[in-house]
Amino acid sequence: MAQSHRLPSRGLVDRARTIGFRFDGRSYEGHAGDTLASALLANGVRLVGRSFKYHRPRGVIASGSEEPNALVELRTGARREPNTKATTVELFDGLDAQSQNRWPSLAFDLMSVNQLASPVFVAGFYYKTFMWPAKLWEKLYEPMIRRAAGLGRAAEAADPDDYEKFTAHCDLLVVGAGPAGLAAALAAGRAGARVILADEDFVLGGRLNADRRVIDGATSPDWAARAVAELESLPEVTVLRRTTVLAAYDGGVYAALERVSDHIAVPAAHQPRQRLWRIVATRAVLAAGSLERPIAFGNNDLPGVMLAGAARTYLNRYGVAPGKRAVVYASTSDAARTVLDLSAAGVEIAAVVDARGDAPALQEAAKAAKAPLILGGSIARATGWRGVSGCEIADASGRTLKMECDLVAVSGGWNPSMQLSTHLGGRPVWDDAKAAFLPGSCPPGMTVVGAAAGAFGLAQAIAAGAQAGVEAASDAGFAASAFDVPSVDPEPDVVYGRGPWRSPSTSAKAFVDLQNDVTVKDVELSAREGFVSVEHLKRYTTLGMATDQGKTANLLGLAIMADVTGRTIPQTGMTLSRPPFAPVAIGALGGAHRGKEFKPTRLPPSHFWAEEQGAVFTETGQWMRAAYFPRSGEKDWFESTMREVETVRTKVGVYDASTLGKIDIQGPDAAALLDKVYINAFASLAVGKARYGLMLREDGMAMDDGTTTRLSDTHYYMTTTTANAAAVMRHLEYAKQWLWPELDVAFASVTDQWAQYAIAGPRSREVVAALVDEGFDVSNEALPYMGATELTVCGGTRARLFRLSFSGELAYELAVPARYGDAMIRAIIKAGQPFGICPYGAEALSVMRIEKGHAAGPELNGTTAAADLGMGRMASKKKDFIGRAMAGRDGLADPARPRLVGFRPVDRSARLRSGSHLVARGAEPSAANDAGYVTSTAYSPSNGHWIGLGFLARAEERMGEIVIAHDPLRDGDIEVEVVSPVFVDPEGARLRA
Amino acid sequence: MPEALIAKSPLRPHVASEVSAHGDAGVTLRERLDLRLAQISALRGREQELADAVRQAFGVELPATSKRVVSGPVAFAWAGPGRWLASSTAETDFSALPGAVSDQSDGRAVLSVSGPKARETLATLISLDLHPRAFATGDVALTHAASIAVTLWQSDDAPTYELVCFRTFAATLWRWIAHAGASRGIDAKLG
Repeated sequence: MAQSHRLPSRGLVDRARTIGFRFDGRSYEGHAGDTLASALLANGVRLVGRSFKYHRPRGVIASGSEEPNALVELRTGARREPNTKATTVELFDGLDAQSQNRWPSLAFDLMSVNQLASPVFVAGFYYKTFMWPAKLWEKLYEPMIRRAAGLGRAAEAADPDDYEKFTAHCDLLVVGAGPAGLAAALAAGRAGARVILADEDFVLGGRLNADRRVIDGATSPDWAARAVAELESLPEVTVLRRTTVLAAYDGGVYAALERVSDHIAVPAAHQPRQRLWRIVATRAVLAAGSLERPIAFGNNDLPGVMLAGAARTYLNRYGVAPGKRAVVYASTSDAARTVLDLSAAGVEIAAVVDARGDAPALQEAAKAAKAPLILGGSIARATGWRGVSGCEIADASGRTLKMECDLVAVSGGWNPSMQLSTHLGGRPVWDDAKAAFLPGSCPPGMTVVGAAAGAFGLAQAIAAGAQAGVEAASDAGFAASAFDVPSVDPEPDVVYGRGPWRSPSTSAKAFVDLQNDVTVKDVELSAREGFVSVEHLKRYTTLGMATDQGKTANLLGLAIMADVTGRTIPQTGMTLSRPPFAPVAIGALGGAHRGKEFKPTRLPPSHFWAEEQGAVFTETGQWMRAAYFPRSGEKDWFESTMREVETVRTKVGVYDASTLGKIDIQGPDAAALLDKVYINAFASLAVGKARYGLMLREDGMAMDDGTTTRLSDTHYYMTTTTANAAAVMRHLEYAKQWLWPELDVAFASVTDQWAQYAIAGPRSREVVAALVDEGFDVSNEALPYMGATELTVCGGTRARLFRLSFSGELAYELAVPARYGDAMIRAIIKAGQPFGICPYGAEALSVMRIEKGHAAGPELNGTTAAADLGMGRMASKKKDFIGRAMAGRDGLADPARPRLVGFRPVDRSARLRSGSHLVARGAEPSAANDAGYVTSTAYSPSNGHWIGLGFLARAEERMGEIVIAHDPLRDGDIEVEVVSPVFVDPEGARLRA
Repeated sequence: MPEALIAKSPLRPHVASEVSAHGDAGVTLRERLDLRLAQISALRGREQELADAVRQAFGVELPATSKRVVSGPVAFAWAGPGRWLASSTAETDFSALPGAVSDQSDGRAVLSVSGPKARETLATLISLDLHPRAFATGDVALTHAASIAVTLWQSDDAPTYELVCFRTFAATLWRWIAHAGASRGIDAKLG
């Protein structure tokens, strides 16, 4: 029975192209142009899934992204995506979909026994039922609920697809390519404005393709196709199919998701799966149409119950009969088209129920279809097991008629789809005549037209769209010629769906929110228990909180609450919708840059050489730094690091210090500015000299440290820590631009301009001497400790040479323009070979700076003041500087504050751990007795045991004292001796050698 | 005597992959290795002196808005109030100009992105409007490409855009452009 429900001739599907697909393991065929929903219906498949809470059989209710019911798992393996709406899934060859939330099979679902327990699962059930005894929650209730509820299963493997972000700018963004949207885009596009037209669908035209309308003598789909073809021929118009505008933001910014590859099995090479658009639009026309709302009646969730407009979509666009014998139940004149179209397609009309009895068009249609007409009646309930097989109709006098049917087409009216107009807080306004919320104040630049604005007529929609397009073009400076509004087929007077919102009485479940299984009874219960505000109704019942955001449910729930509490709808209120309009895969929000590409990776100048050496790298912020350079026979980082430290301390090593921030500071007031940002003096620094400096934040805490060299009277070269390079630059610009704009000084980041190598160790001078060009003297006399000079190396490459040491050894920093950095490291290694040089990495550097007691990141941790770091006396008393006043606060000046000291274990074989807290011997480890903490530890090959740095209260009095380093997380407590933080060469003789 | 040092690009194929387009390239990605760069800041009260010196030496007016002016091998791109990024394809020495001049020849890398799909490729990374009605040859923007700070200008109507980034970001920027261009027929070759 292939495609048993496919009509012989209607629709836009390509009957010449047959597409094979699978649903729940069974093979079916559909046509190009089908959705999964239309193809399933064409094959007579009505049961598509099981519901969230009660596991009730569910089918297709709608025909677009508002679908609450027909949710499937699409694709398999890593591409498996749960909760995909069958109504929006474009059919492709090999499509594989699974129904959700059923076990063991869709037709026979054991969990549907939940229905029997439905008194337990009413609104607010999880607040009540499982309160006591609380200890059963984790073991019993939660696992039970998790098994029973929930929808599809997410993929377990990493997403294999690519995503892309894209920014576009336009004069006019048109949301929705129905009649109003097409007219707006044409009017503005013809005038030459930059227009982006976005629509969720893969065929543009909106209801023009779902209804049989006539425009200027053409069928409505033909008119739409011609409009689209014209738009696509305009160079400044971008037409985006399969693109949902998700959100409106400040400044005319809109987010939209384009499903680039979701209509094919696997994205083509290099194509993203989805593209997240950021559209910056001067004007926007919201022409998103309207969404039909159902009427609640018993068993209104059975497969075979469908919105009246959706039934027409399946007939007219897909050439699929959603049933063979239909009952149409409506409170609007619009459903008359459903009666006529069903009848014309050969679907028998079993009955037409005019819920209010005041829709002449509906009555005429019933007459034309020769169907019984029930005025002022209702459907009490649909009947059937896994789908509708009949219904019970209550007429105005209360008599019940039983009617056989396999389709109930229902319409309670149409809700303008104006969600985007509320994203910046615009409040919709209730229109009593139209029985709909209409857009209130809109985001700046947005106009709402067509059905989205409550103008439900076709002629009205086109005219309003065109007008908005002309205005947008003229705003952008383009004179639009008047848009010839086409003639359309006659439109009867509209009767809007103004209730009743539910059938008067039914013993069966009548659903309001199909996706979250919220019933009329739940709304009534919510009212009885006092949750009468819409916000409470929503949260108590979960109405509208599913992935469809209650597009078909919200108004119905609100109207029923109004009814139950004897209030009007506007008195009852309205919940605003929030972005996104439709669910978005997290991958699309992440975009192209994920994993290793999540952030930029900065490679220092020696990187490629270090790779050749087999270096092991460590990430430091954005930088890749060599951690250590293993040699054959070394079994771990520790061995390599110890060898590197020993080589530096006894011979010579080289380290790429290029990651340090470097700032070029020039101008007559350069010295004055430095005096303001550093606690110590720099105006007094001689040309050709470097000085260590510490800068504070305004609150008096240490911010960063480094060395700054005076290159000339008006020219300094500052280095910062690697981590704070950008922050220090910002700090300097702030100081100059805001605090002291009168200072004449300019900054340039030269971090990447210079490759800067530390050459350290007793033999370093010999290595440097071998590199500098003839005529330059690097002797201790010519270039003493903290000296700096400009010279050339390796036959003419200009360089800067600094006599600086972080390791504590005789050391230099040699800087060359970065393009020579790769050659420079090779030249240093070559020149150093006779002296036993080795490269050293960040691990060895860290060991050596701890051995020297130099503060680094763990000590400059944002909570330490200059005095805490032992640099209190460095602060100049002769000048003002940033942080000076706040550093003088009593709390920071308190001598009892923990100060930087060194530690060594009493048992020399013991390992020290950073993070340990310090307590006096014999004291209970407690917050009250906390005397400080250990910040940095290392095994010191120079000392032959572990050493540590940290902060200890009243440290000066406690030198030599044994305290406890308390580490409850790891090895427990060890006894440490309080010592000077300088463990190597405390006199600094080596530095000055 | 050690050997003379050889200059190297910050890019290597293993961190900045080369891609050949099939057929006509939609977008072409190259590194500019022929540029000298300098950041020039006017000193207080000496703005006119700097402008005069530039006019005298190069025959152009320093732009006061986000523009780039070209004179033979030399160009000046606005880089903020009182600040310019000077470039030259010759051995121009900018250090004599009366201002704070800081050599950036090695501090920055310059990637050129050109061709009919250049604008579309950059739209995946740069959020500014590069449509010819909004941004044309001679226009400059201080912006970012995803999370990488760039100075951007359009240098011809091909169109060719040049992105100036800090040197150590160049490999990542290259990869990101090459990735975005993969679906747009990119031709990406290292110099």
